[in-house]
Amino acid sequence: MAVDEKLDVSGLACPMPIIKTKKAIAAMKIGETLEIIATDAGSKADLPAWAQSTGHHYVGLIEEGAVLKHYMRKCDVTMTNEMHFKSTITNEELLKISPKPNIIDVRESIEYDFGHIKGAVSMPLGELALKLASFDQEQTYYLICRSGTRSDLACKLMVDHGFKHIVNVLPGMQSITTDLEKNI
Amino acid sequence: MTNKVAIIASNGGLFDAYKVFNIATAAAATEKEVAIFFTFEGLNLIHKEGMHHLQVPVGGEGFIEGFSKANVPTIPELVDMAVELGVTFIACQMTMDVMGITADQLLDGISVGGAVTFLEFAKDAAPSLSF
Repeated sequence: MAVDEKLDVSGLACPMPIIKTKKAIAAMKIGETLEIIATDAGSKADLPAWAQSTGHHYVGLIEEGAVLKHYMRKCDVTMTNEMHFKSTITNEELLKISPKPNIIDVRESIEYDFGHIKGAVSMPLGELALKLASFDQEQTYYLICRSGTRSDLACKLMVDHGFKHIVNVLPGMQSITTDLEKNI
Repeated sequence: MTNKVAIIASNGGLFDAYKVFNIATAAAATEKEVAIFFTFEGLNLIHKEGMHHLQVPVGGEGFIEGFSKANVPTIPELVDMAVELGVTFIACQMTMDVMGITADQLLDGISVGGAVTFLEFAKDAAPSLSF
């Protein structure tokens, strides 16, 4: 798993995994992901609850025997989720399009690995500007992220670079839980 | 939605201390504003000497080994973390007077106040907890 930081809290009991996670996240940049290696079984409930409460994003868990690997992405908790891009489509409308549409998933690769729409191309927002040449300006692309905020920025970026048919998918992957393809 | 957690610590044993400081540090680490009002035996938990010798309740001796096995931090360590995370400690003035405890016997930097000091903080706190 590609992560920006790692935190080992193996052997530590509650509340230490939470306290150390808070400190580690505080020192990171928005959008970066943290791998938390824990053995406290309570962390399976506590870390998602901590994310829910603080506004950060609990990406997922990989269990390797008694070792729990949690993935947490630092979010901008002050962000108001304002979206500007006008051309949008709902999750449901997107999933009904036939033949299969071109979907670009602009979340981090680790989020993509934990579950994405079958056929969606992974292109993290931070890399999109450098890889625009791999897309066709005449084609229609549907951009998706977790909540619509990053894909909103990505839509604007693509239109600014001459793409003609760009659509933002709302509310995004956070509301799609079935039929996901995983790379883990 | 309120972002405050208000805790009353009114008992002075080792298990009481863990209940108070585990919840307090977990809440503070979850970006909550936390205040603990220490009253009666609860003052023991922030007493410079007393906090190092907290009693295990009768019948609970068997759990002592469990604390080290589960790698649980000591109470002084949890107190340091609580302070570092910005938890506010309020010592009850009335109890201090009754029990003959002076501010210099308690942890440095804590505030001393009456019931209203705590109530003012707790008026819009959710949850409010008592241990």
